[in-house]
Amino acid sequence: MITLLYVKIFIYLENSLDTKRKVVVKIDKFINSFIQTFNGFVGATGMTLKLTIISLIMACFIGLIVALMKLSSNSFLNWLAVIYIGAIRGTPLILQIMWLYFGITHIIVLSAFWAGSIALAIHNGAYIAEIFRGAIQSIDKGQMEAAKSLGMTNSLAMRRIILPQALKRAIPALGNQFIIGLKDSSLVAFIGITEIFNLSMSEAAATFRQLEFYSIAGIYYLVLILIFTFIINKIEKKLDTGRR
Amino acid sequence: MIKIENLHKYFHDFHVLKGVNLEIKRNEVVVLIGPSGSGKSTLLRCMNFLEMKDKGVLLIDDQLIDSDKKKLHKVRENIGMVFQHFNLFPHKTVLENVIEAPVHVKKMKKEDCIKIAHQLLEKVGLADKADVYPDKLSGGQKQRVAIARALAMKPEVMLFDEPTSALDPELVGEVLQVMKELANEGMTMIIVTHEMSFAREVADRVFFLDQGVIIEQGTPNELFDHPKHEKVQQFLRHVL
Ligand SMILES: Nc1ncnc2c1ncn2[C@@H]1O[C@H](COP(=O)(O)OP(=O)(O)O)[C@@H](O)[C@H]1O
Ligand SMILES: [Mg+2]
Repeated sequence: MITLLYVKIFIYLENSLDTKRKVVVKIDKFINSFIQTFNGFVGATGMTLKLTIISLIMACFIGLIVALMKLSSNSFLNWLAVIYIGAIRGTPLILQIMWLYFGITHIIVLSAFWAGSIALAIHNGAYIAEIFRGAIQSIDKGQMEAAKSLGMTNSLAMRRIILPQALKRAIPALGNQFIIGLKDSSLVAFIGITEIFNLSMSEAAATFRQLEFYSIAGIYYLVLILIFTFIINKIEKKLDTGRR
Repeated sequence: MIKIENLHKYFHDFHVLKGVNLEIKRNEVVVLIGPSGSGKSTLLRCMNFLEMKDKGVLLIDDQLIDSDKKKLHKVRENIGMVFQHFNLFPHKTVLENVIEAPVHVKKMKKEDCIKIAHQLLEKVGLADKADVYPDKLSGGQKQRVAIARALAMKPEVMLFDEPTSALDPELVGEVLQVMKELANEGMTMIIVTHEMSFAREVADRVFFLDQGVIIEQGTPNELFDHPKHEKVQQFLRHVL
C-alpha cells in the first residue's frame, strides 16, 4: 500500500562521468521540500507579483499612449510609435532586460528591480499598444461622427465615447497579455532579482534536486495564473451586464 | 441661414459633388431626394464638416465658415445631426446619451441638463426609457433618442440623413411623427429621405440631387406633381 503512495518519476541524466544516475522523487520528500522552502517561495512570489503588477500598470499607460500616437494624424508621432513597436517586437525580452540593466549603466544606473520592471513595462507596452489600437479601430466610425456632430472635440470624443468602449473590448486580449507578462517576469532572474524562478534555480543548484524545485516553482506560477484568470473573468462578466 | 455656393467634393479622383448651390432660410424645412449614390449624404456631411469640402463657400448666418479645424467643433454645436444608423452611445443609458453633450461640451449644470433631457424624452415619447441602455430599444425608439440627443444641444438647424431607412416599416411612423412635430415648431431642417408622402407633407422646398448636381428644385407641389426634368419624372415613377 505504502509503495502506491509513492510517485516515482524516473529521469535519466547523463552526468560528466558518463554513468547513468537514477533520480527518484518521492511524494513525501517533495512535500517536505515544499514546506521547508515555503517561506522563501512566498517571498519570491511576492516579488514576482510586485514586478508583474508594477510593470503591467506602466505597460498599460505606455500602451495607451503609443496606441493613440499610432492612430494620430501626426506623422512624426506615427513614426515614433511604429519604430518603438517594431524594435520591441523584433528583439527578445531577455535582451531588452540585459540592455537596460547592463547595457546603459554608463548613462543611467538602475537597480535590478527597476531595470527589470521598466524592461517588462516597455516590452508589454508594445503588445498592449497593439491591443488598444485594434480595439479603438474596432469601434464603429459612427460613434466618432455622432460625438463630433454634437460638438465634441476629437480628444473629448476619444475620452468620453471611444476609449470606454474600446477598453472594454480590449479586456480579453489584455487579460491574455497580463498572463504572458506574469510568466515572462521570470526572465528577470538573470539580473539577480529573487523571484520565483530565480529561487527555484538556486535551490535546485544547491541541492541537485532540479526536478523537485522546478516543479515547485511551476506550482506557484500555476496558482498565480489561476488567480489572475479568475479576476479577469470576474471583470469581464461585470462589464458585460446589460450593455452591448 | 445656410448658404452653399458652388460646392465641390472629391473622394480621391471621384467627383461626388459638382458645384452645388443651395440656400436655406430660418424655419424652413428642406427635403433632399435623389437616387442612391447621387451625393445626398456627402452634401449633408459637408454642412457639418464630417466631410471636408474641396471647393466652394459655406455661409452660416452670413458668416463664412472656413475649414479651420480648431473651430469646427464650435460650428457643429449649432448643427444637430441624425444618422441612418442612430449611432447612440451603447455604453451610456438613454438619459446619459441625451445629457452627454450639454454637460461635457456646453458645460451646463448636470441637474439642468437632466431636467431638459426628461422634457425632451417626454416629447419623443420615451419618458419611461430614461434609464435603459440602447440595446434594449427598438430601432424606432433608438432613432427618437438620437433626435432627443441632438435637440439637447439646442441646435439652430437639424440635419437628417435617411432617418427611417434602417427601420422596420411599422416603426417608421413614430419617427416621422416626431419630425413632423419638430417641423411644426419651426425647427430649420434639412432632410434626406425616401418617404415621399412625408416629404410632401412637411417640406417647404424639395431639392433633387443627381450625380452631384441639383437638377431641379421647387415646392413639393411643383416637384412631385409637375416635375420638369426627365430624370426626376423617372425617379418619382419608381418610388411612388
Ligand atoms: N468616404 C468615401 N470614400 C470614397 N467614396 C465615397 C465615400 N463616401 C461616399 N462615397 C461615394 O460617393 C458617392 C456618393 O455617396 P453618398 O453621398 O453616400 O450618396 P447618397 O447618400 O446620395 O446615396 C457614392 O458613389 C459613394 O460610393
Ligand atoms: Mg446616403
